[in-house]
Amino acid sequence: MKFPNPLSPFPWLDDLLNRLLAPHLREEIMGDLHERYQRRTQRLGESNARQRYWRDALAYVRWSNIKRQSNPYPTTYTYSPTMIRNYFKIAFRTLTRHKLYTALNVAGLTFGITCFLIIGLYLFDELTFDQQHRNASRIYRVIEHKKTKTDDLTIAAVSYKLAEESKKSIPEIETTARMTSFGRDNLSNPETKDKFHLTINLADENFMKIFDFETIAGEKQTALKEPNSIVITEKIAQKLFNNTEVVGKILRFDFTEKPLKITAVIKNHPSNSSFDFESLLSESTFNDDAEFQQSNASDWSSHNYTVYALLKKSAQSQLVGTKINALVQANYKFETGTTVGYLLQPLTDMRLHSDHIATGSTNVGSGKGSILYIKIFGIVALFVLLIACINYMNLTTARATNRSKEIGVRKANGAFRSHLINQFLFESLLVTLLSFVLSIGFVNLLLPSFNAFTEKQLSLGFHSDYRIWLYTTIAVVLTGLISGSYPAFLLSRFSPLALLKTLKLQNQGDLSLRKGLVVFQFTISVVMIIGTIVLFRQIQYVSNKDLGFSKELLLVVDINSGDVRKNAQTIKNEISKIATVKNISVTTRVPGEWKNIPTIKIRPEGNTDEHSISYLLGVDEHFTNTFEVKLVNGRNFAGTDDSTSILLNETAASMLKIKEAAGQLVEIPERSMGGSYSPLRNGQTFRARVVGIVKDFHFQSLREKIAPMVLAYQNNPVHSIDYFTSRITGNDVPNTLAKINEALIKIDPAHLLEYHFLDEQLARFYADDHRRETMLIWAALATIFIACLGLFGLATYTAEQRVKEIGVRKVLGASVFSLTTLLSKDFLKLVLIANGIAFPLAWWATQQWLEEFAYHINVEWWVFVVAGASAMFIALLTISYQAIKAALMNPVKSLKTE
Amino acid sequence: MRRSDLGEFEEVVLLTVAVLAPNAYSVSIAEELEIETGQTVSTGAVHAALQRLEQKGYVTSQLGEATSERGGRRKRIFTVTALGGRILNDVRQVRNRLWDRIVPQVTLKWN
Repeated sequence: MKFPNPLSPFPWLDDLLNRLLAPHLREEIMGDLHERYQRRTQRLGESNARQRYWRDALAYVRWSNIKRQSNPYPTTYTYSPTMIRNYFKIAFRTLTRHKLYTALNVAGLTFGITCFLIIGLYLFDELTFDQQHRNASRIYRVIEHKKTKTDDLTIAAVSYKLAEESKKSIPEIETTARMTSFGRDNLSNPETKDKFHLTINLADENFMKIFDFETIAGEKQTALKEPNSIVITEKIAQKLFNNTEVVGKILRFDFTEKPLKITAVIKNHPSNSSFDFESLLSESTFNDDAEFQQSNASDWSSHNYTVYALLKKSAQSQLVGTKINALVQANYKFETGTTVGYLLQPLTDMRLHSDHIATGSTNVGSGKGSILYIKIFGIVALFVLLIACINYMNLTTARATNRSKEIGVRKANGAFRSHLINQFLFESLLVTLLSFVLSIGFVNLLLPSFNAFTEKQLSLGFHSDYRIWLYTTIAVVLTGLISGSYPAFLLSRFSPLALLKTLKLQNQGDLSLRKGLVVFQFTISVVMIIGTIVLFRQIQYVSNKDLGFSKELLLVVDINSGDVRKNAQTIKNEISKIATVKNISVTTRVPGEWKNIPTIKIRPEGNTDEHSISYLLGVDEHFTNTFEVKLVNGRNFAGTDDSTSILLNETAASMLKIKEAAGQLVEIPERSMGGSYSPLRNGQTFRARVVGIVKDFHFQSLREKIAPMVLAYQNNPVHSIDYFTSRITGNDVPNTLAKINEALIKIDPAHLLEYHFLDEQLARFYADDHRRETMLIWAALATIFIACLGLFGLATYTAEQRVKEIGVRKVLGASVFSLTTLLSKDFLKLVLIANGIAFPLAWWATQQWLEEFAYHINVEWWVFVVAGASAMFIALLTISYQAIKAALMNPVKSLKTE
Repeated sequence: MRRSDLGEFEEVVLLTVAVLAPNAYSVSIAEELEIETGQTVSTGAVHAALQRLEQKGYVTSQLGEATSERGGRRKRIFTVTALGGRILNDVRQVRNRLWDRIVPQVTLKWN
């Protein structure tokens, strides 16, 4: 109880005292205080009284006055076990009485939570990439940002000396580890001759120390210390030995005579690791290789190594980056015009924040994730859940009128507002919990197929990470609270008198909020439909776009050994004899390939301008027929002795300002495999004549614009051949493959056949898009479905509410059609408004996404029409069922009662 | 009853309650004591003493009427219980007996 006293000299002091004093003493004490003050004012004057007031007030501050009186009677505590039991009982009764609405609510929430959980698991996996290492928070990858006059590159690879010296001279760096890959080779078990073709990875001894790769056998700390040591994964051990206890056994790589001793077997990389190496060779294996040692000794500028730095606990990565920069600048003089900067990228950012890194990360990880899509999916997941919550809110508030009697009686019997709030919240929590249990079942049902298509190993069970369960529980409780809060606070607010007298809730604001929520639901649904259509169309466009060459039925066979490379001509002849092979060409790289295509510096001879940059592909005279690339000008390669001729694509031709190919001389002094330019193999400038121009073709993903491309002859000094590509008829592919293999084995009996179909390979560029598309389609469907469930519920309810009105109208001669229109109109209006909001939103969002592609579709107007119309149509279907049912009902039935 | 149960201030307050009956409450007691002793007496101190006395069973209380100068709050009126009266009597008798035993010459010297 608080007594405001306008005469009080210090209202705030009163306020303080009021709070401090025990409630049962407040009245007398405050009364005494004020009476004394009044009397003193009369006797001693105001200022004196005010002073005394202070002292009096303070005299009351003692424990006996502050201590609260204990209540001798038991109170009905809102959360007492009895009450909780009662909440559950009532909730259960209400839910079972209205089975249809309960089913709608549970279905909506189950769908929402299932979607949320699946997307959530996916996101969790993406966001926890590379966190399995104990020191993950202290490990950084060294990134180089290199800017030359012509190029601006971010590379996740640096030089040998940087790795070596930085750990010695920069105190913040505890140690560094490095890894490099070069080519692929056969790894074999000399005892059984079993072979496996894989990338050769070289790592220094620290590599196994700073990362926590789980070892099955062997000593991790010293695994890469000794020369000729090799660490292999469980998978390789199983393939070569059928056993994982293979430490101490010997393996061989074809490229070296040295026997390699297995020092450790590590577990296969978990699905949320960026590392995917299958074997690691100790760097010290090359200690006796003079050339290797020499090239490293002065190497401050190459991009040969992926370097990881383990920082000390308190070190700041930015500062260390600056120090590395200073260290390199002090030891190496870069060309004028070239600026180089070093950065440290946290290990845990490698997966999602590497979009800007051009090259050098090839020896780490298969796919890069994208933080943009993570965000999109996060938002989508939340929206789906939110829509499910809104469903619940809408249906519950709409049906509240039916419960006004119950609420009124409860209130009249002395229920506090908190009791009612709790009751509604318990109801929603019960529904959510039920949905949650159902969704766990659904998720486990769906995960196998979801895993198959995302290539992940997600699971939800007792063994799941505790954080998954923590977040899930929080999400579910929040869902329950959000769904229940609005009905709870709204319904408990009304006065019992009004409730019992009119048995109706008169609440306009409530209705418009409900409308707003329906609009919101449909806005999101329509945006997602449009997004999905655009995504789908873009992927269609990409896979059907004329690439400038024909990608179907192209069989690409890798050249995996020196012997095969030397005898390429013979093999070509052999293969071309096969009946099902129409054409065969040998090239250094294939269009749409996933490995680096080298770039070169090029300029017309005699020109002293800065060199231009172009990609280079070594091909033969059959390239144009095999790939069906059109020659627009000049001539094709003439034959084996035409090695100083080159062809240009149209972009390169226009870059070099060549209109007609007429043997113009160009010089190519340097090449780069990503990162830095170095002189050609023979150390000389490659001088070539431009003999022809080919039509532009897409040799990279459609995300990139067509770049200048030089087609040199197969035996060029820039890059050696690596692939046979045959155009096949498509009949009897296994037989064709067997024959090709025969031709190869004739030359090199040890050669392992590796092949792929180019169109499948190209599709990989867009595999991630395909996945996203599929996920988005499902999410969009779920959103629409849930929104429609909500609409269905609302329509059912409205029809129920207006049953008398419809009866009267029918009696007066209204047709079924006009009644259906009457009932549907209100809802369709909402969906229409939602369309109006969704269109600009969707337009903006899809435009944003399409920007990512250099070649993309335009978002056409019909997409919006289709999306809007389908939303309307689905909504109409949902509503009309109830509307028609209500309209068809016999008016006698509805008007008879009362 | 042991003597130590009644402090000096408590004793004075208890006496004043008896004096002011039936209109003894914190403010009137404090003012009465101020007049009688010439010292400032805060209602807080009186209130605390009254609480203790009530706990010991020497006084009882009930809420009285509200006045406007109290901001509409009621006052708590105290009355001395039989036990309280007996204790006061005991204390007084002890004092009287002691006073009576003081030789007149000594009293004269003080004046």
